[in-house]
Amino acid sequence: MKISYNWLGEWVDLSSFKSPKEVADVLTARGLEVESIESQSKGLEKVVTGQIILKGKHPEADRLSLCKVNVGAGSEYLDIVCGAQNHKQGDMVAVAMVGANLPNGMKIDKGKIRGVVSMGMLCSEAELGFKKESDGILILPPKTPIGWKLADVLGLDDTILEIKLTANRGDCLSHRGIAREIAAALGLPLKAPKVREFTGKGSPIRIELDAGEDAPQFFGAYMTGVKVGPSPGWLKTRLESIGQRSINNLVDVSNFLMFEYGFPVHIYDADKIRGQVIRVRKSKSCETLPLLDGGEITLTGEEILITDGERPIGLAGVMGGGNSEVSEETKNVFLECAEFNPTLVRRAAFRFSRRSEASLRFEKGIDPRGHREATGRLMDLVVKLASGEPAGEVMAELPSRAGFKPKTIETSGSFLNSFLGTSIAREKMVGVFQSLGIGVEQMGEDGLRLTPPSYRLDLTIKEDYAEELARTIGYDAIPSTIPVLTGAPKGRKGDPKRHRLVTMDRIKDALSGLGLREALTYSFQSEAWLSKFGMKSSVKILNPLSEEQGYLVPSLLPGILRAYQENERHHFGSEPLAVRLFEVRPVFSFSGDQIEAKGDAETGVVEKFRLSLLLSGPRLDQALKSERGEVDFFDLKAVIESLFDQLKTKGIRTRAADSTILGAQSHLYHPGQTLQLTAGKDPVGFIGRIHPRLESELKLARPVFWGEIELEPVMSLTPEKETSFKAWSGFPTMERDFALLVEDTVASESLVQSALKSGKPIAKVVKIFDTYKGAHIPEGKISIGVRVIFSDESKSLEEKQVDQCAEQIVQKWKDEFHASLR
Amino acid sequence: MSVHSEIEEKGKTALNQILEASSLEQLDGFRVSVLGKKGTLSEALKQLGQVPAEERPKLGALANEWKARIESAIESKKTDLESQKIEADLKKTRIDVTLPARKVHLGALHPITKTIRKISETLGRIGFDVTTGPEVETDFMNFEAVNIPKDHPARDMQDTFFLGPGVVLRSQTSPVQMRTMREEKWPIRILCPGAVYRCDSDATHSPMFHQIEGLWVDKEVSMADLKGVLDFFAKETFGSQVKIRLRPSYFPFVEPGAEVDVSCAICAGRNPHCQVCKGTGWLEILGAGMVHPRLFELAGYSPTEVSGFAFGMGVERIAMLLHDIPDLRLMFQGDERFLKQF
Repeated sequence: MKISYNWLGEWVDLSSFKSPKEVADVLTARGLEVESIESQSKGLEKVVTGQIILKGKHPEADRLSLCKVNVGAGSEYLDIVCGAQNHKQGDMVAVAMVGANLPNGMKIDKGKIRGVVSMGMLCSEAELGFKKESDGILILPPKTPIGWKLADVLGLDDTILEIKLTANRGDCLSHRGIAREIAAALGLPLKAPKVREFTGKGSPIRIELDAGEDAPQFFGAYMTGVKVGPSPGWLKTRLESIGQRSINNLVDVSNFLMFEYGFPVHIYDADKIRGQVIRVRKSKSCETLPLLDGGEITLTGEEILITDGERPIGLAGVMGGGNSEVSEETKNVFLECAEFNPTLVRRAAFRFSRRSEASLRFEKGIDPRGHREATGRLMDLVVKLASGEPAGEVMAELPSRAGFKPKTIETSGSFLNSFLGTSIAREKMVGVFQSLGIGVEQMGEDGLRLTPPSYRLDLTIKEDYAEELARTIGYDAIPSTIPVLTGAPKGRKGDPKRHRLVTMDRIKDALSGLGLREALTYSFQSEAWLSKFGMKSSVKILNPLSEEQGYLVPSLLPGILRAYQENERHHFGSEPLAVRLFEVRPVFSFSGDQIEAKGDAETGVVEKFRLSLLLSGPRLDQALKSERGEVDFFDLKAVIESLFDQLKTKGIRTRAADSTILGAQSHLYHPGQTLQLTAGKDPVGFIGRIHPRLESELKLARPVFWGEIELEPVMSLTPEKETSFKAWSGFPTMERDFALLVEDTVASESLVQSALKSGKPIAKVVKIFDTYKGAHIPEGKISIGVRVIFSDESKSLEEKQVDQCAEQIVQKWKDEFHASLR
Repeated sequence: MSVHSEIEEKGKTALNQILEASSLEQLDGFRVSVLGKKGTLSEALKQLGQVPAEERPKLGALANEWKARIESAIESKKTDLESQKIEADLKKTRIDVTLPARKVHLGALHPITKTIRKISETLGRIGFDVTTGPEVETDFMNFEAVNIPKDHPARDMQDTFFLGPGVVLRSQTSPVQMRTMREEKWPIRILCPGAVYRCDSDATHSPMFHQIEGLWVDKEVSMADLKGVLDFFAKETFGSQVKIRLRPSYFPFVEPGAEVDVSCAICAGRNPHCQVCKGTGWLEILGAGMVHPRLFELAGYSPTEVSGFAFGMGVERIAMLLHDIPDLRLMFQGDERFLKQF
């Protein structure tokens, strides 16, 4: 909200402030944050008035003129080159002197224009920041004094404060409201104008309130003989200073009152009101109303309508009707100053996209006891500025308004002090509250009975008064203490929620330790992007910013692949690109018919945390080319295995994932380079190479290895308890190496599992140490080198025992896999 | 030739040969040919039987003396030759140690994760515990439970993504406050970090971002306690020289409410052109206040029994200040050039 410093000065004595900045500091400290302070003359410091003494031709350019300009006594005539065509000898002009920094950002230097030195510039209105565009330079009236500052000549001596008002302070949406705050802060009186007494009698137009509590009061005044015309200069200046356009004296008067008093009012052409009645009622569905902005709206039955004897003539609190608006021919007017239900005004303004300064004020709530004074003030202004004659007044109010009393609350000095952590004497509190217009009654030693002024209906509970007290003494005056820890300590060990948080942190630590970088991607993606991965989200955003962000993600893979592509896109040069990303974030799903809240806390949308991983590019960050390598499936597998090793996660199994196992994900992963992870029998995810078809569809420059894992099962297989020490066998181990010839479709891991089983209890470790295909190996077969390590915790093994066990293992290999020894 | 002179002769010859040996193998050959069973010196000693008995001790001593001299010469030559060999090998095994190292990729945590951890750790030291809640929330939890009923003007303050009737992407982490209070008895001392969503996107707004919110509920908690906690947080996070400033403000879920600034740790308000604080000397970092009694009612607590304070801040804002990150959008692009740095 814009506040004019000069206008404010009419309401409260600002002479004790050295500058608008000081006023701004007071307001900000009281919770009315001043966001900017702009002097109207900003940028005009070096713009003066001058007279064109001689307009000559530029020697080098036909379109340019070379002027001699008088900028006042004590200065020589200036030679100024000008490109405009609308000036002549003798004209008064605005001259930007060398060194000026104009409001439109232009800097004036002493410079040559087509070979001729120009000692300044003759300014246009656009260059002076008065208009967005303008033709030619600004020609000032002939009587303009020469050599004055332009800002002084034009009366641009105001400073505009931009205030960011919080939603609770509707009472400050006016110059009067802001002045009240300053007056309270400084203990000054408010300089209110003298306003005529509103009698409420004699209006030929009567009021009927038929909307119940949605329209509890209505003040009207009938005025005759108005002369519609332009507003006087001072009124235009006031409105323009806060960014409002001057329309005509009647419209300007109602705007002026709104920005001065905070009361939105409306002025009807009284001769267009039919049936000598104004009836306020709820709309009927499908009724229509032509608005004064030219639009026509169809009502829904929820709005508050202003009607006359025959038809709707205004949408209450939002906009007047086109059928009753004032025009240049208007002679008699009817003034409206009323109260409407803030919620209904707000909804109507939203519904018809017609939020305005007026509807905003209705929404925030208006002083329910101020209509009488505001109407009087409005009448005074119409008399003064549009020559209107008061010809009768009328008012209607419901009992709730006639007998209105603000809510009184009881509290105590000790409560306020304990709540704020302060020790303020009660007398001082009383003074503070009284400065804010709050009615105070002291009860006993400590008690306080407080009643807010009618314009501060936001004060309803004792905590509100604590805030009033705190912001008046200043938040700085509140001490700083560290709160006491009370109650029995809450141990969180064993709390599953805590275990999840700790485990997720451990996962992130482990992965960053393994050389991966944590990424964060948006939880929403476009339908089109998800469909590239064969995915469909079950959670749609009803009001997305763009289609790009239309759906909550069912998987982290589309996001992490987009991140990969971003990296590829800006990568250049011959250095290979290394991308090593992981992300831990939830994915979203919904399996019902319609997403809908159930009770206070249930949405039905399921959020499950997942881990996504992506590896691509050189294996080493830095090394000679020949040694640097390129990541492949086994690098990714190593990351996962190391992760589970670090977490001590037990019970994650793996198996090769062919197209059948991949199922719905078979287009995401290479069916010959992918591993499925399971927790017991439940699949928890895949890791593998991106499917070459997807790789080519997405035009990826190099192979990508990726994977996605459900974290809930992993976390439940990850122990919370500390690692227990395990003793190792002190006896020497024995080893046997085997070269097995098997079908090349045999999964080597199954050989390992088989040996561990058949070699129990002494075959402790089984390792694949080599594979070989090629010469001397038949087509379709593969040679696999397996090492079995035998040990016993309690004694040294004997050769015979080991040989016997090895034989069992080999026999099992033969039986299960048709393996032969090479 | 007498035995005497033969020993002398053979000894001298052997010494010369040893001195001239050019390899360890050659040296070993000489040792055998001189000192071995059939070596020249041994052969010469065999003739001792033919000399008169009274000369034998003298000759014997001479022979032993030569033997010792030769052995010592061999030892010293051997050391020489070994050291020569190592020298020669050193040259052969020289590498260019300035070549690039075989360096593994370093991983990194996202600055958001790091910042949440830093804040949690700092405030954890004075009693806060971390807890989280869902990102898809009910309208009730996101708004009504924090005292923003339907049609409340404060709903304008935030533009919320809707998923269905009464279901939203949470626009703040505050719902976790109510969820926790409904689950647990006071005292409550929690921090709630997490992602939140608002329909807003430009250089300083992201439709998804992170907040961390704190809530402390107990009997006789005061606004002075709030100030103390925030002061501690600011000093731990930005430096012990920084100050905080509370300005009255309005959030429906607190009363009184405050916006909280920290003094600019870069210029301390001395540089009118400071890029960080824009010359104001202050940085707005969080909103805070005393918990509105309406929240206690909704939580099933008695507002006359307890009081509390709450504060909330944008994690991105803090991360940007801590790490000099110029553009919010960098956080969500997965750009390696960015992520690698943390």
